[in-house]
Amino acid sequence: MDPVSTPRISGQLIDSYVGRNVMVVGKVLQLRGDTAVIDSEGQITANLNREAHLVSGNGVQIIGKVLPDLSIKVMNSIDLGTNVDYAVSQTVVELTHQYKDLFMFPDDTRMN
Amino acid sequence: MSNSYGGGGGGGYSRTSYGAGGAEDGGGFMYGGSQGGSQSAGKGYSDESLRPVTIKQIIDAHQAYPEAPFRIDDIEVSQVTFVGMVRAISPQTTNTTFKLDDGTGMLEVKQWLDVDKQDDSKPSFALDQYVRVWGRLKSFNNNRHVGAHVIKPVTDFNEVNYHLLEATYVHLFFTKGAPGAAGGDAGGDGDSMFVDGGYGGGADGGGASEDKLRNISAKGKKFYHWLFNANGGNEGLNVHVISQGTGMSIQDVLAASEELISPGLIYTTVDDDTFAILDN
Repeated sequence: MDPVSTPRISGQLIDSYVGRNVMVVGKVLQLRGDTAVIDSEGQITANLNREAHLVSGNGVQIIGKVLPDLSIKVMNSIDLGTNVDYAVSQTVVELTHQYKDLFMFPDDTRMN
Repeated sequence: MSNSYGGGGGGGYSRTSYGAGGAEDGGGFMYGGSQGGSQSAGKGYSDESLRPVTIKQIIDAHQAYPEAPFRIDDIEVSQVTFVGMVRAISPQTTNTTFKLDDGTGMLEVKQWLDVDKQDDSKPSFALDQYVRVWGRLKSFNNNRHVGAHVIKPVTDFNEVNYHLLEATYVHLFFTKGAPGAAGGDAGGDGDSMFVDGGYGGGADGGGASEDKLRNISAKGKKFYHWLFNANGGNEGLNVHVISQGTGMSIQDVLAASEELISPGLIYTTVDDDTFAILDN
């Protein structure tokens, strides 16, 4: 229906997604006011919104926009608890980029 | 104790239960019918098998014409399962419409209300919660949606990733063949240089019935399986019938036929455009 994707990415890939809405699954390393540091194959700084309820040490899924300074402006977050297999998450990130046909609608603002 | 297992001929235990029914018939996964021969022509259950997909695959699924069956990776599909986060819930008089988002796209899912059942038991979902849907692909006034049979909350987040891996696996199964059937991408189209190389040497386990199709492209396999189930008899079926039955273009059918003739899997009968399965 809506040909819009929020591709699953990691800290390794974030610099090619500036300006796009993305999804990151990672572990909350640090929580300071309205910013959090998330580990997902590299550290990502997340600027949280009001609704965000992150727990330090837990897994989290955030959806948000990648800003020019490579932080993410979070629009939506889900606390995933402690039972998260990060290796599987990273495999899905790899597959997302290997088989874009299945996971990602092309974006108008940038190709690739 | 160990006798009761070991004595039965070791590995034969599990093999018979699969192999006996499957015959030549693709091992049951894609061509669900275990009694291929007894099904009426072209009306197999293959399109009723449940396929794990991403929402983007559903949005990209194409129909040859309005009301035609949906196809993903050129395989007919109607029953699907997928996961997604609930982005909107709108109760209607006859159904509840959900908008689900799995990161690959957004899709409408309708769960019809059962008037006979005074359901207080209907589970309600929270926004942004992950759920898994089992349902049927539908199109109404060009508005694609899934009619849900069941929607259940995902209680373990790992199921989301697991599902995406499974959807990828099934996609690769249909586009590149079963694992073990192709050494990497090598199983190229119509690689008829090694006429006998494809089968016989199938030492790496996995559906023996698929062995002889191991070097055949996806379209060739589809042709073969359809023809096998279609019961054309000794006279075989014309290229137009096959094209209609498989939903492949005449060109594709002819290309697939050449691919299948050279290793001796099918043969031409009354004329060059009529094919039958070569039994062995």
